Amino acid sequence: MYRSVVKCLFVLPSYINNTNRHFVFSPIITSNYSHFSTDSNTQPLSPPNPNNYQLHPEIKASSSSSSSSSSSSSSSSTAEGAASPHYETHSSKEEQRQRVEYQDEQACVLRASLHHVVRLGWTEAAMIKGARDVRVSPSIIGSFPRKEAALVEFFMDDCLQRLIDIIDSEELGNLIPSERISKLVQIRLEMQAPYISKWPQALSIQSQPLNITTSFKQRAMLVDEIWHAVGDQASDIDWYLKRTILGGIYSASEVYMLTDNSPDFRDTWAFLDRRVKDAFDLGKTLQEAKYLAEAVGAGMGNSVQGFMRRVFQG
Amino acid sequence: MYNVFFSCLHFFIFLLSNIFFFRLVSKLHPFPGMKHLDVAGGTGDVAFRIIDTINSVSRTAIQDGLEDELRNETRVYVCDINPNMLNVGKKRAVERGLGEDPSIICVEGNAETLSFEDGSMDGYTIAFGIRNVTHIDKALAEAYRVLKRGGRFLCLELSHVDTPIFKELYDYYSFSVIPAIGELVAGDRASYQYLVESIRRFPSQGMFASMIAEAGFQKVEYENLVGGVVAIHSGLKF
Repeated sequence: MYRSVVKCLFVLPSYINNTNRHFVFSPIITSNYSHFSTDSNTQPLSPPNPNNYQLHPEIKASSSSSSSSSSSSSSSSTAEGAASPHYETHSSKEEQRQRVEYQDEQACVLRASLHHVVRLGWTEAAMIKGARDVRVSPSIIGSFPRKEAALVEFFMDDCLQRLIDIIDSEELGNLIPSERISKLVQIRLEMQAPYISKWPQALSIQSQPLNITTSFKQRAMLVDEIWHAVGDQASDIDWYLKRTILGGIYSASEVYMLTDNSPDFRDTWAFLDRRVKDAFDLGKTLQEAKYLAEAVGAGMGNSVQGFMRRVFQG
Repeated sequence: MYNVFFSCLHFFIFLLSNIFFFRLVSKLHPFPGMKHLDVAGGTGDVAFRIIDTINSVSRTAIQDGLEDELRNETRVYVCDINPNMLNVGKKRAVERGLGEDPSIICVEGNAETLSFEDGSMDGYTIAFGIRNVTHIDKALAEAYRVLKRGGRFLCLELSHVDTPIFKELYDYYSFSVIPAIGELVAGDRASYQYLVESIRRFPSQGMFASMIAEAGFQKVEYENLVGGVVAIHSGLKF
């Protein structure tokens, strides 16, 4: 399915991006080797399950048994930590207590850190508190390649997942496309509302050169998802155009929301509605302009053709 | 003339080793309140850098009362099998004004049988020491034992160079230049020869990474510095 293909294409590079080392800015570091771990019995050395990073630990419908057992074990983390088994003696399928996957643990830590973001911002202090909440040593933060960016990216992926769930469950069929888009963008922006006081910081983290490729990919996925939900049947040029336009509307609304003090962000939704309507009107205008251009071209072409014929025959 | 040469060499080695230790500590990403164990680091290079990093981080971070308490809870244990190295470390600590600071604790011990409790350390580093351990797998198992959940293992070590031209240069340098310098400076060609050979005998980056993974660590990675002359291996415990 189109959506899952896009997801694979985007998730795999973003996951690998996140786990490969940052060796561009130190002149001495020349090469690196990405991880090489005996993660789970069901998965060979490479590549690890890309879904692990992206999905909510509790919503993993399609993941392997190791993930589901580890998400239950991570909720009883102390007992698990004390009784972590030794790995050589595993018989793969029958073993109840599978190894806790580190990606799940990282996701757990990040999720717990989100609770502290409102007070401490998208910083390592929040991540340290989050790690302590989940009874994991804060040293794990050293293993995130881009520290605070990992937290922001986790949040963005989490919001996207929640949006997908909402799309699947809600009935949007009775709205016209422009209203559907408005509603979806509104739903997505509302997820950021609790963190709005610290959202400028998140935006600045996302725009740093190291992080910009991942944040761009995440936004591209988001915009693609929204258009897909609206029932987009576009052809080539339109595909890019539509996503670019929606990306622009989304970013503009996001920034507007930062300075919006109206109750429940009413002004932001009004702003959003106006932008979406403008874009649709512009789209109609452009379509009409295209027809006009075609007609003019055809007319002109006929006269030019006639002229040329007369020149070369006469 | 020799003095100039050797002081240049000394400076160069000093600079390089500073960069290696700096990279190791920045990978570790120390935090206030951390319990860290540095094995075979008697002279205190890694330990001092960790303390400096934590102090500078706390000063720039948001100051609330909790941060200061945490900073006082920071403990860096320096473990070495050689008491002389530990004494050097203690002297250097006093010179830096950390003599009375409870943050650094020097302990004599063997990497294969550590005297620390299970799950008591947030971080474990071993810099240029694991090559000299008789049973590397035992040392790795001990490292795994003392680390907490989420704890990180970091190992800085001289390792294998594989890039074609640089490899030849490095081999030439190792086998011809280093023992010669050893003979000139210390009158001891044999031990420098042994040093170079022991570096070659140590497992390659990939092999060592698989040994670390067998000890139970996850997310085992390595990073080559200077083309592979030095490598930093890291692992996570869960």
